[in-house]
Amino acid sequence: MFNEANGGNGQDRPGHGDALSLLARARPERLKALAEGLLDGLGEITVIANRTGLVMVPMRDTVENVDFHLGEVLVSEAHIADATGRIGYGMITGRDLERAMAMAVVDLALAAEPNADAIQGFIETERMHLAELDAERMRRVEATRVEMETF
Amino acid sequence: MAYVATRGGEKAIDQAERLFRQDLGTIDAARVASIQQSMPYLVDRVMGEASLYSEELAALALAQTGGELSEAVLVLRAWRTTQPRLAVAAPVRQDDLLTQRRISAAFKDIPGGQILGPTLDYSHRLLATDVLEGKPYTPPAVEAAATPAPARQPSLADWQRQQGLVAPATEPTIAPDDIPDLTREPLLFPASRAHRLQSLARAETGGVLALGYAAMRGYGNAHPTVNELRLAEAEVVVRHPNGTPFSAGRVRVSQAEVTSKEKGGYLELGFAATFGWNEVKVIAAATLDLNSAEAPVGSPVHEEFYLYHTEPVEASGFCIHFKLPHYVTFQSVLDAMRDAKAKAASAQPAPEAATERQTEPAE
Repeated sequence: MFNEANGGNGQDRPGHGDALSLLARARPERLKALAEGLLDGLGEITVIANRTGLVMVPMRDTVENVDFHLGEVLVSEAHIADATGRIGYGMITGRDLERAMAMAVVDLALAAEPNADAIQGFIETERMHLAELDAERMRRVEATRVEMETF
Repeated sequence: MAYVATRGGEKAIDQAERLFRQDLGTIDAARVASIQQSMPYLVDRVMGEASLYSEELAALALAQTGGELSEAVLVLRAWRTTQPRLAVAAPVRQDDLLTQRRISAAFKDIPGGQILGPTLDYSHRLLATDVLEGKPYTPPAVEAAATPAPARQPSLADWQRQQGLVAPATEPTIAPDDIPDLTREPLLFPASRAHRLQSLARAETGGVLALGYAAMRGYGNAHPTVNELRLAEAEVVVRHPNGTPFSAGRVRVSQAEVTSKEKGGYLELGFAATFGWNEVKVIAAATLDLNSAEAPVGSPVHEEFYLYHTEPVEASGFCIHFKLPHYVTFQSVLDAMRDAKAKAASAQPAPEAATERQTEPAE
């Protein structure tokens, strides 16, 4: 039904990783609303997984460049497929299975139609929103830049 | 000697737990959300020691244990075991960190500059008692800069390597799935560096501080200066089933490098990191790492000593188990004590008896 080896989507699409990263941080209610609207157009969907679990996060030590495990992050995962074998996947930090599923639905819709206006518009809106949040925070952080003087 | 099962007390035990929980009252989502929102640094500490990053679950653990930290960490560690591991993320690298605080006490002018970020370092520590008189404290707003700080800052240690100040280091070749993992294998000594740093990342803050402080005061062999301290966010980079890497979200992390003196032509460095923003822990832990190389076996700065004694669940669990019934152990102590006394008493005549004999009228 679907090919796990390549995710059923064939070659990776340009900008796919960037889109997934934005979907994972998108505003939950807007993401869920978008997914709700896309569901009808996707036909029959098989849920392969929709669960919480852990992702171990390694870090690189700066002294000897040794990789070590920092700890595990709780994530929610959704893995779905449509009747043609295309894969939709969502993983977000935290405990929100609906949000992970919404991400997977949008990813599946992207696999079917990578340039869908509604999805690309959503991604651009969220990109701008998140960039503004980051910029706002980092403008406050920049205000704490210090020039040390010694006497 | 062995522990013994005790019988009885079921009702009292049940009521004792009820008393504990009733004292805390109803726990609802609003209380959990309030803890998460109002105590991020406490939540960070619990997540670091639990080695489980979930602000929501850490806040819940604090709510249901009434802030008893060892119990909160224990309940999170226990819950973690119910979850499958879905993936190992790409290793977090220092120069990829979304950095919000970055300072150096050793070098004034570092590439990228110094950013104080959110801190109380230079503030007056005054309790805002007016709040209790009905006057809410509203903090003054930050006067934001016109342009944002760069999200990423270069690695100071890499810059120092380029200057010949720090020993060269080779790129690791180990795959993320093959990184030694304390949650799946025992801690053995001498520990691998990966085990040591993972163990320090999940260590108990107070324990690490106590031993690190001892080293700083002179019970170690190296006095630390902070080479670089960072509070940052790291992307959790996982893979789509088709192999595309993407970030599933961000987590708060702390990193510290401390340095002491020259050795072999290079500055010695110690390193530590943890989940959440917890500077005291990473500075103290990096100090222990710095002191490890020449530490005598059995000293508080020897890795076997500090890693064994700062594991939060084992340390608190061993400590509090002493309040559980030890009747057989203690009964044996009493028996031995009474036996020794009886033997001592029978070995020499009691003075009173001797006196009586002397006052006995002669026949």
